[in-house]
Amino acid sequence: MSVDRWLQKVALRLRSVLHRGEVEQELDEELQFHVEQQTVENMRRGLSPDRARAAALQALGGIEFQKEEVRDARGTRALEDVGRDVVVAVRSLRRSPGFTLAVVLTLALGIGANTAMFTLLRGTLLRPLPHRDGERLVYVRQSAVGAGQPNTNFSVPEVADYRAAARTLATIAEYSSSVPFILVGSDGAPARIRAGIVSGNFFGVMGLEPVLGRLITDGDDGAAAPSVAVLSHQYWTEHFGGDSAVVGSAVRLNGIVSTIVGVVQPAPHYPRRTDVFVNTVTSPHHLSASMVTERTHRMTELFARLAPEATVEQARDEVGRIAALLATEHPEAYEQAARYAVSVASLRQAVNERASLTFWLLMGAAAFVLLIACANVANLTLMRGVGREREMIVRATLGAGAVRLRRLLLVENLTLALLGGTLGVLVAYAGLRLLVAFASQLTPRAAEIRVDGVVLAVGLGTSVLAALILSFVPRIGGGRSLAAALAAAGRRTTLGRGGQRFQRTLVVTQLAVSMVLLTGAGLLVRTLSNLQSVDTGVRGEHVLTLDLPLSGPLEAAVMHQPENLTLYTGLRDRVAALPGVEDVSLASLAPLRSSIVSFDVKAEGRTVAPNEPTPNALFKTVDPHYFTAAGVPLVRGRAFAATDVRDGAKVVLLNASLARQLFGDLDPVGRRVAWTGEVLKFSPLSGDWRTVVGVVGDTRDEGLENAPTPSMYAPFAQEFIFGGTLVVRTASDPSALQPTIVRAIRDESPGQLIEGVTTLAQIRDETVAPRRLNALFIAAFATLALVIAMVGIAGVLAFSVSRRTAEIGIRMSLGADAARVKRMVLGEGGALLAGGLVVGLTSALLAAQLLRGLLFGVAPHDPLTLGVVAALLAVVGLLACWLPAARAARVDPAVALRAE
Amino acid sequence: MSKPNDLVQGTLDLLILKMLAFEPMNGWAVGQRLKQLSSEVLQVSDGSLYPALHKLEQEGWVTSEWRRSENNRRAKFYSLTRAGRRQLQVESGNWERLAAAISALVRLQEA
Repeated sequence: MSVDRWLQKVALRLRSVLHRGEVEQELDEELQFHVEQQTVENMRRGLSPDRARAAALQALGGIEFQKEEVRDARGTRALEDVGRDVVVAVRSLRRSPGFTLAVVLTLALGIGANTAMFTLLRGTLLRPLPHRDGERLVYVRQSAVGAGQPNTNFSVPEVADYRAAARTLATIAEYSSSVPFILVGSDGAPARIRAGIVSGNFFGVMGLEPVLGRLITDGDDGAAAPSVAVLSHQYWTEHFGGDSAVVGSAVRLNGIVSTIVGVVQPAPHYPRRTDVFVNTVTSPHHLSASMVTERTHRMTELFARLAPEATVEQARDEVGRIAALLATEHPEAYEQAARYAVSVASLRQAVNERASLTFWLLMGAAAFVLLIACANVANLTLMRGVGREREMIVRATLGAGAVRLRRLLLVENLTLALLGGTLGVLVAYAGLRLLVAFASQLTPRAAEIRVDGVVLAVGLGTSVLAALILSFVPRIGGGRSLAAALAAAGRRTTLGRGGQRFQRTLVVTQLAVSMVLLTGAGLLVRTLSNLQSVDTGVRGEHVLTLDLPLSGPLEAAVMHQPENLTLYTGLRDRVAALPGVEDVSLASLAPLRSSIVSFDVKAEGRTVAPNEPTPNALFKTVDPHYFTAAGVPLVRGRAFAATDVRDGAKVVLLNASLARQLFGDLDPVGRRVAWTGEVLKFSPLSGDWRTVVGVVGDTRDEGLENAPTPSMYAPFAQEFIFGGTLVVRTASDPSALQPTIVRAIRDESPGQLIEGVTTLAQIRDETVAPRRLNALFIAAFATLALVIAMVGIAGVLAFSVSRRTAEIGIRMSLGADAARVKRMVLGEGGALLAGGLVVGLTSALLAAQLLRGLLFGVAPHDPLTLGVVAALLAVVGLLACWLPAARAARVDPAVALRAE
Repeated sequence: MSKPNDLVQGTLDLLILKMLAFEPMNGWAVGQRLKQLSSEVLQVSDGSLYPALHKLEQEGWVTSEWRRSENNRRAKFYSLTRAGRRQLQVESGNWERLAAAISALVRLQEA
């Protein structure tokens, strides 16, 4: 059937429904006309007027009957009936407002939680990447697990090798972000940005389009091309206010004049946030001889587009083979013990690597909440159904078919579920900002989260599904003959045996699901508290850190060591003089911040076993006050002194991890160590021997759940200066002092960039925050589940008591006392509770395994958590049973029996 | 009772469409005309006429308007729509094929 024909039919049907009165009246008139004409005709054939009319009516089968036939034939019957059903449903629901409110709220919470989680899931995990053919994009990662480096990046010769050899990768794009950049715009104010140095084919490979101007292309490659920059959509809106005039303007990037040529479409930032994309010529470092020719100078990350027909698995295999081949061809560049390996992952998976497990678990938890919400509503409906059995039978007696009754129930449940669903979607919508904030800690795709048509459709679908399930819960008197049903209905106030068993199964399920969710919440809360109690290695209270980057071209700036030292010590001394400041220190990096600046180390007179990787340590420069300001304990020897200057003897401090790795149980103080390895030659650091003057405590720079990284400290005044960070210990709340400190720095050096102003407590909290929200969500779901389950068990018992009032009356008149009756009801509830606990414990043990990846310092089968959760459930459950039990105990036998 | 048990299933629709193809008429007239033209062979019960007419109207094959009848009474007159004309052709074709097939079968010489 063609579309317009179908539309025409719909229009005709709608007209019949909407103008029902008119249609009815016309029908009446039409049939009257027929009867009159036929009467005349019959009279013409010789019948008396009365007989003529009677015959005409009889031929039609009676006017009213004929009308029914016509209405059926018009095929609008069902539609009209539904309208009437809605009216009946609304009326019936208004008669029981308590029931309606309970059901709508329960469903709203269940559907709301699900809609919210689905919104999260769809925006981040399910929706295709915004890149053209994003499914074909892969991220290639080189790692050296033996050396503790999950991502070593690639060198230019390696990129060339993979380009030449990999058949499964159609095109390979380069991206490098390890060079810090300062952007100076037309207003002259410097700003630190995160720049991605990309090859000319980058945007083509990634399948991204400009929203403004053009993107970097092949023509921008090479040393002769002019420097060009492309803004990320986020940076353009946040820092240029989405001003299109910015395209074509010139900026200075590390001192190099560059033209902004365009703005790229919004896309998830991976592997890290990028403000500005620049071509290779913009970073002189990337054109330097060592960068281009040295196999170990690894600064480039690779994105690739799969060749047609190739799969990620095939690419992974092939790239793995190429990596093995390169390692045998160039053994000097791939230390055996470092275990170099290359992996290929689809970009879509890589982007959501951290979020995937958490989001699916939350979705599962939300689905569980909906499940037990539905179970509760089913229970409520079931109980209400008993009271309504008589109503149903009366309706059946008056001619309503089983289908019609079923439909009446369905319409009622649909009304309830849609009310709940609408409320739920509103709840989800209100929680969107919280959701995005949560997601942005785990995935770069958080910005794509929104409530759209699909999300609304799923919310609606969930509601309809819930309504459908609920409508088939209560039995309608259809199974038995009408007479039998009528005979029984007079006194029937109880469920059939099957109904009771079903009701009990629902309660046990609810309890079990609550147990699973509570266990999950318990494990996550324990993880959280374990993390909170991890010793960071610093005394983080009242410590403010401020990054003060060097401005201008970094490579040149680094060479001005004396001037830089004067600048930074000037700033430090200025801040130290402020009232309320207890201690100030200068360092290359704030404590607890992870760093990528690491080099291989060797100790004099010590050799590394052949199967062990060369020791590698983070390089940090700090001034004499650092360890007191940050509260890092000095374990052995001495801290740096004011005499450890550029021309003095070269000295270093080791952290405890590095000291143990290099010297084992020996006292390192007085021994000599040196930087070494291939990468050293790309840095201005020297490989001279340095004397260890002391050992300091470890700090957790890679997050609380990760082991401390081996680190070597050098005096700030003795080494090249790449930038500075002030570590300020204050007497009271550091954020109160922050404006004063910032003003003092501006006073001393007006153009100075100030970035990353944050307290040590905040840095520490960055690891914990996503987990806290995680635990909060699961705990909220678990609480919700618990409340619903308790209402469920209490409701079922209350119902059981009310139906057994007569029985209780008889028992009491035969001598049972109140305590005994109470025990009886509590026993009934206790049996349900025990069932729920047993099923719940088994399910929790299985389900907790899924959480393994999110736990820290606690096993998935942690007996303490399981025990506490079981005890909690038992106690709260018994409390919920207490109410109906107490009511049963108050039954007056005389009243109960008389009522019968 | 509503089914035209004296007519092959679905044939009533075809007959009504055919009647209306000549000129618009009211329900009663359709019934009368059917009886006359078929020399009273086809006894269309009055009871099945109106459901059929209304069904055809909902399908969009006929449309209706209120007009004065011959004896100056207001009556609902049905007329064929374009879609109805097409439908008439389709159904006539079906009927002729069916009738021809049945005739051929009935005329088969028994051995």
